[in-house]
Amino acid sequence: MATQKIHFFTGKGGVGKSTLAASFAYEIARNSAASNILLTELSERPFYQDFLQVPTQGYTPVRIEKLSKNLALSLWSPQECLREYALHLLKIESLYKLFFENPVSRSLIQVAPGLQELAILGKVTSSARQHGPAMNFDQIVIDAYSTGHFLSLLRAPKAMSEVIQFGPMGEQSKSIDRWIRNPDFCQIHLVCLPELFPVTETIELYQQLVQEFGLVPKVYLNKYLDLNISDLQDLSESTQNYFKNTIQIQNESVDLLKQSHVRFQKMKLQPTLDSLQLVDEISSQLESGVV
Amino acid sequence: MIELKSATKTVICIGSGGVGKTTFASTLAIGQACQGRRVLVLTIDPSLRLAQALGIPKDGDVHDITDPFIREKGGQLFGCILDHQKVFQEFILSAAGHRLADQDIKKLTENRLYHQLSTHLAGSQEFTSLYKLNQFVKSNQYDLVVLDTPPAQHTWQFLRAPEKLSQLFNEGIAQWFRSGHQQDVGFFKKIVNVGTVQVLKALEVLTGAEFIKELSLFFKAIQNWQQPLQQQVNDCHKILTSQQTEFVLVSALDSSRILESQKISNEIVQEGYNLTTLVINRCYQWGDQDLRTSNPKVGEILQYYRKIEQNLTALSSEKRFQRLSVYKAPEVSQNDWHVKKLYEVYSQISVLR
Repeated sequence: MATQKIHFFTGKGGVGKSTLAASFAYEIARNSAASNILLTELSERPFYQDFLQVPTQGYTPVRIEKLSKNLALSLWSPQECLREYALHLLKIESLYKLFFENPVSRSLIQVAPGLQELAILGKVTSSARQHGPAMNFDQIVIDAYSTGHFLSLLRAPKAMSEVIQFGPMGEQSKSIDRWIRNPDFCQIHLVCLPELFPVTETIELYQQLVQEFGLVPKVYLNKYLDLNISDLQDLSESTQNYFKNTIQIQNESVDLLKQSHVRFQKMKLQPTLDSLQLVDEISSQLESGVV
Repeated sequence: MIELKSATKTVICIGSGGVGKTTFASTLAIGQACQGRRVLVLTIDPSLRLAQALGIPKDGDVHDITDPFIREKGGQLFGCILDHQKVFQEFILSAAGHRLADQDIKKLTENRLYHQLSTHLAGSQEFTSLYKLNQFVKSNQYDLVVLDTPPAQHTWQFLRAPEKLSQLFNEGIAQWFRSGHQQDVGFFKKIVNVGTVQVLKALEVLTGAEFIKELSLFFKAIQNWQQPLQQQVNDCHKILTSQQTEFVLVSALDSSRILESQKISNEIVQEGYNLTTLVINRCYQWGDQDLRTSNPKVGEILQYYRKIEQNLTALSSEKRFQRLSVYKAPEVSQNDWHVKKLYEVYSQISVLR
């Protein structure tokens, strides 16, 4: 595989990063006939299964035919990632069973700092690094953790390689760290709401990612209310005020991003409760790509 | 206004990030204080503005923040912004301090695993919140303690935090790592159990010997923790399941919250916790005039919000949530955060069901 690419979606809780990640995966899947796209979720409990109304979602990717034949869906928990990697490394089934079916090592893995993050990133970069079980996807779209946890995810390989300098884990950590800092391979997408506090946080995270990792994230201003003051004329005064306030905050948010030279795409609020329709409409907005 | 049971001593505000949980927790605390109670609000990482509005310094201590407005109504309000690292340290010292020599404590705090544990480990924030909650509830100094929970991807992570942490220190694991390292005779030699040896070998293949060494030092340093930690877990569980504790789920007027609220409610009820209240936060009050608007774009958005509100309210008609009250709380403009304004917001909270 020549040019694999991975996309991380992050943002504060409730900003719509999962929806946007799914829409993005759907958009690239339906627009590039020959490509093979994986949408995956870093979680122990699936969100997409209900959201996209698919019968199962697990560690092994499953095609979502009803969206696109090029699109597969999976769920990557750190435990499963580590288990797969361990099996690959240890080779001996019984040894691996002994290790993983042991309650003590299970809880150890859960609490050992950085180990889970490392397992996830190891999995995400395994094809590129040609280490571990092969995965034949051209692009992987990852619905990742929300902001704070996301930074510790990205920092884990470097931190681990500093603690453990020798041995397989040290080597792996270094190689994972190199790959996630490669902008041709790793793209970060920051989703945020057009509100002042979230926008300020997003700008900080943006700058941090540029400085610390040399990655320039794509920014989305999600759930943008496409309204003007003139649209509000026949509303009651209190509702008018509510929307006026919202519009003003949106404008200030846009100004803030512009002042900080952050390029972003506005994503209009889609007033629908039908999740498949929502994904369809957002992916069309992504396609038009107005920045 | 939110109606709590008169016997209630603890309110735990849960809900995922971005719903205004911290602001709501503060609003509720102010409202309850204005009913003449002595209230403590424990918050986690409030925005600078909110902290300033309430007058709580970010030093991890409890501060009397009763302003004249609350005093006039006969109540008292205390606030504390939790400093997790400080609390974690406090726990360590109280749990092991009298048994650990100074140099051992130093060794521990210099251990890189400890360092990561106290700063990064998902779960330790949750643990420290509950640790403090337990302390304040037990102290009997307050009529009501309102806890704002840390942002978690899933609420169950919060509720399971104490158990998760206690697993780390349970006799089993700790035993393994403590045994060998005291002597140079090879790390695993002292361990008789064959399975254990193999498991540790597997772990070494995966992580390298250096990691195991760090791990072993860490466990050695904390060998006396199990008992106090287990005590904590039991105490926390007692508070969480007490009938004097009410869980308030904070949600928002957003389509993604419908499914999420349903899931969270399910989890809480299944765990046997006392979920009494659902609050749809940051709403606005629409009237018939608004819904008759001739502008289709606005009309569509209003209908959309209304549908979300209806769907959220419908939760309470489900059998398992029958005792759930649903409220809606108005949006607070961020320029307007001060105690009196938050009390006004509290008075505007209206019951939907």
